[in-house]
Amino acid sequence: MVPAKRESLITQMRRGTLEYCVLALLRDQPRYGFDLVRSLGAADGLVTSEGTIYPLLSRLRRDGLVTTTWHESPSGPPRRYYQLTSEGGRALALFTTEWDRFTDAVDHLLRQGGSP
Amino acid sequence: MTTEVDALVLRYLQDLEGELRDLPANRRQELLDEVGEHIAAARAALDPETEAGVRTVLERLGDPADIAAEARERGGVQRPPVRPATPWLEVIAIVLLVIPFAGWVVGVVLVWLSRLWTTRDKLIGTLGGMSWVLAGLGTVMTSAGGSRAVGSAPLGPSETSLMAVVLVVIPFVLPVLAAIYLGFRLRGRDAAASAPPS
Repeated sequence: MVPAKRESLITQMRRGTLEYCVLALLRDQPRYGFDLVRSLGAADGLVTSEGTIYPLLSRLRRDGLVTTTWHESPSGPPRRYYQLTSEGGRALALFTTEWDRFTDAVDHLLRQGGSP
Repeated sequence: MTTEVDALVLRYLQDLEGELRDLPANRRQELLDEVGEHIAAARAALDPETEAGVRTVLERLGDPADIAAEARERGGVQRPPVRPATPWLEVIAIVLLVIPFAGWVVGVVLVWLSRLWTTRDKLIGTLGGMSWVLAGLGTVMTSAGGSRAVGSAPLGPSETSLMAVVLVVIPFVLPVLAAIYLGFRLRGRDAAASAPPS
């Protein structure tokens, strides 16, 4: 596949899933921006420009899926922590269920060509 | 050393602010704060802080234009349509076309310099603007024809006055009509340019 097509394919797949990856990272504990972004960046292919996560966080906050709180930092000024709301938790649970179903269906078709 | 690194960071944030200028002020400030905090946290994690390390932090953040594009997309903000700049060359050309003599000549030249009108538009502008040439040719031919026609019946008074009217009307009225036509063509172009892409 030519690189440009590969790039646009990944971009499209990332578009719908990245926000749930962010919610998943916040499921167990609140994180501050840099920590969150670096954890996402550690997952291969998910984030190319780390800065583009901040507009996404901004939208998740406006949608009420995430809130921010300030916490003291062991070094330097206080940090803004992103935290999952209960609505965010529900959105993540719904996505997880649908994602399992979806990937099962796609996997089945990709691997067996649809034969039972 | 520290000041150089600070200047790098400052320039990055200024670039980002420039790219975000079409966002609402509160959203713009929020993003600038968050990216600024990211850079501060990343710098605190560098031990020791080197210029190369800070450059890497900024590279990983990515092009400010990409962040701004993402902010527009995630926020549902449309990039404001770029208002076409006033086409001064064309406006001046149109004004000159309605000014007799030298104005007509320069106006026609400017019409051909424009890249906004089609060749057909330019031909119409030229025929209109240069109609005095046609009128002049007509005069010469009429008088030449008149002198050749010595002996034949001279033009009657009504024909002469009709000719005079035509000779006055053509050079003064046609350029105005051509200018109006070119103006309409320019407006049509503006409407097409500012329409959202389908």
